[in-house]
Amino acid sequence: MNRIEERLATLKEEGKKAFITYTTAGLPDYDTTKKLMFAQEKAGIDIMEIGVPFSDPIADGPVIQDASYKAIQNGASLEGTFTMMGDVRKAGLKSPVVFMLYYNTVYHYGVENFVNKCIENGVDGLIIPDLPFEEQGEIKAVLSKNENSPILIQLVSPVSKGRIPMLLENARGFVYCVSQMGVTGKGANFHSQIREYLTEVKKESKIPVMMGFGIRTAADVAPLEDIIDGAIVGSHFIKLLEANNYSEEAAADYVATFKKELNA
Amino acid sequence: MAESKYYGQFGGQYVSESLMNTLAELEKAFEEAIRDPEFAKDYIYYLQEYVGRATPLYYAGRISEKYGANIFLKREDLNHTGAHKINNVIGQILLAKRMGKTKVIAETGAGQHGVATATGAALFNMECTVFMGAEDIERQKLNVFRMEMLGAKVQPVTTGSATLKDATNEAIRTWAEKAEDTFYIIGSAVGPHPYPKMVKEFQRIISTEARKQILEKTGKLPDAVVACVGGGSNSIGMFADFINDKDVDLIGVEAGGLGIETGKHASAMALGQVGVLHGMKTYLLQDEIGNIQLAHSISAGLDYPGVGPEHAYLRDSGRAKYVSVTDKECMDALMELCRMEGIIPAIESAHALAHVFKMAQGEYKGKTIIMCLSGRGDKDVNTVQKYLNGEETNK
Repeated sequence: MNRIEERLATLKEEGKKAFITYTTAGLPDYDTTKKLMFAQEKAGIDIMEIGVPFSDPIADGPVIQDASYKAIQNGASLEGTFTMMGDVRKAGLKSPVVFMLYYNTVYHYGVENFVNKCIENGVDGLIIPDLPFEEQGEIKAVLSKNENSPILIQLVSPVSKGRIPMLLENARGFVYCVSQMGVTGKGANFHSQIREYLTEVKKESKIPVMMGFGIRTAADVAPLEDIIDGAIVGSHFIKLLEANNYSEEAAADYVATFKKELNA
Repeated sequence: MAESKYYGQFGGQYVSESLMNTLAELEKAFEEAIRDPEFAKDYIYYLQEYVGRATPLYYAGRISEKYGANIFLKREDLNHTGAHKINNVIGQILLAKRMGKTKVIAETGAGQHGVATATGAALFNMECTVFMGAEDIERQKLNVFRMEMLGAKVQPVTTGSATLKDATNEAIRTWAEKAEDTFYIIGSAVGPHPYPKMVKEFQRIISTEARKQILEKTGKLPDAVVACVGGGSNSIGMFADFINDKDVDLIGVEAGGLGIETGKHASAMALGQVGVLHGMKTYLLQDEIGNIQLAHSISAGLDYPGVGPEHAYLRDSGRAKYVSVTDKECMDALMELCRMEGIIPAIESAHALAHVFKMAQGEYKGKTIIMCLSGRGDKDVNTVQKYLNGEETNK
């Protein structure tokens, strides 16, 4: 069973919500990313999103743009990130890991080759923000060839409306609900219709519904906790890591606190 | 309907989920507009009365004689604002009005599309923000001031390489956030569907006029049609009505910078590497790990790492041919046109001219060539001066 589905099934049994973080691979270097992954696992993280840096991250705000830029300057690449994944799996990392990356990175690597490397190195899911449903045929054809392929996570936006049933019909893992229009990291000014929108997705969805974009603390999502199954934090987590010199303690504290408050 | 989003394997809509409904709404509005005679009437009215069309198809006698072919220049430089960019802006801004949008945003490299958009926004009383790389703002101060005079806000973009590619990223990000009341006017034949198609339709007028004019002047179709290619808006407009004329050769000229072999160029098609950027699958300049590479050209308007998807398709299908000329070849041709015809062309357009000279001296000797003179060179005089003084002209 896929690690994401396994973890989410366990949480469902326990009646708990999921906490998911995003970090940019190779920021400031791969050794640090590895240490941060293990520290988060120990602190109780449910799923880790690892961003593979790209030169032109059009779905990201200034924090993740800057993180991607720095990681590339420091030599991060898709190949390097696969190697890092292989290393953490060998060293015993059990948590589900989702790669967040742009389609050019996948396409340039070769879709088939990319999927095989994901399977080899224990990548459980994929978030490709510039690959909307209608453009997913190419990669789905490859993913469907192997049952150990990572899950392609579907994103839903506050203006998806009539598209929601199509997006969710065969969705697996979890649904990534974008909380606002625009890019990542703009603070907790969620879309004005956020409640109605999440309720609609939740009603339609057979799998857990996670909310991301602009979240900083568990308090930000507290008003919506009766609807969502979990929260995703990216830009804020990166800012926090940068401010604390990428300390494992800071990462662990943040994850433990968020997770506790989310399930309080 | 789905197939029309692609040109062979190129094109598509590689954007975030939050823009998919926006694109669907835009496509519907566009398809309705181009079938509405009232819309066409408005568009033609502004092109004639405001932009000053039709532009002349000028027989450049002295260079024709010197180089040995009949060279006709489609004078897009004589449009209001000094380039072909305004044709597309008028079309898109009329569409924006029709859709009830009150704000427009645009990206710009050299500033020509920014100036055209600021002009259109002033004309139609719309709030206008133009995204421009900080690097380009420095290189094109005069155009920045022109946009501000016209009432537009110029938003500096400091991320990445701080040039056109990054300005486009930022415009897409802003659009994803504000699409409800904001229309994104893309200046080149790039971006997610329906943009490449829209830009082609609104630039088609170049070839519609030129085809009629050449038949009037010579009684036959030309042997070749030539235009410079950055993203590819003037060239797709120049090619459009000739695509079905199989005996007319279509030739696009990319910026070869310091030479393809140096790696410092803007010829997305020269290396033939397909990728995804700015909502489309097309030929892109990329490094060995799949990051987008900086384009390099003396011309800010051709300084783009990709090319419109229809051009990528025209190349692969063999209908059009794409070549490149270097900074030096382009500047030599530019000076030649100044001195022999009394026309100061934009550095972009001079790329096409440099290739026309090569053609005229080679297999097109004695033949008839139409070249799109896409813009005037006033904006480039500082760059030309620096070049002639042997100073650094590229960032």
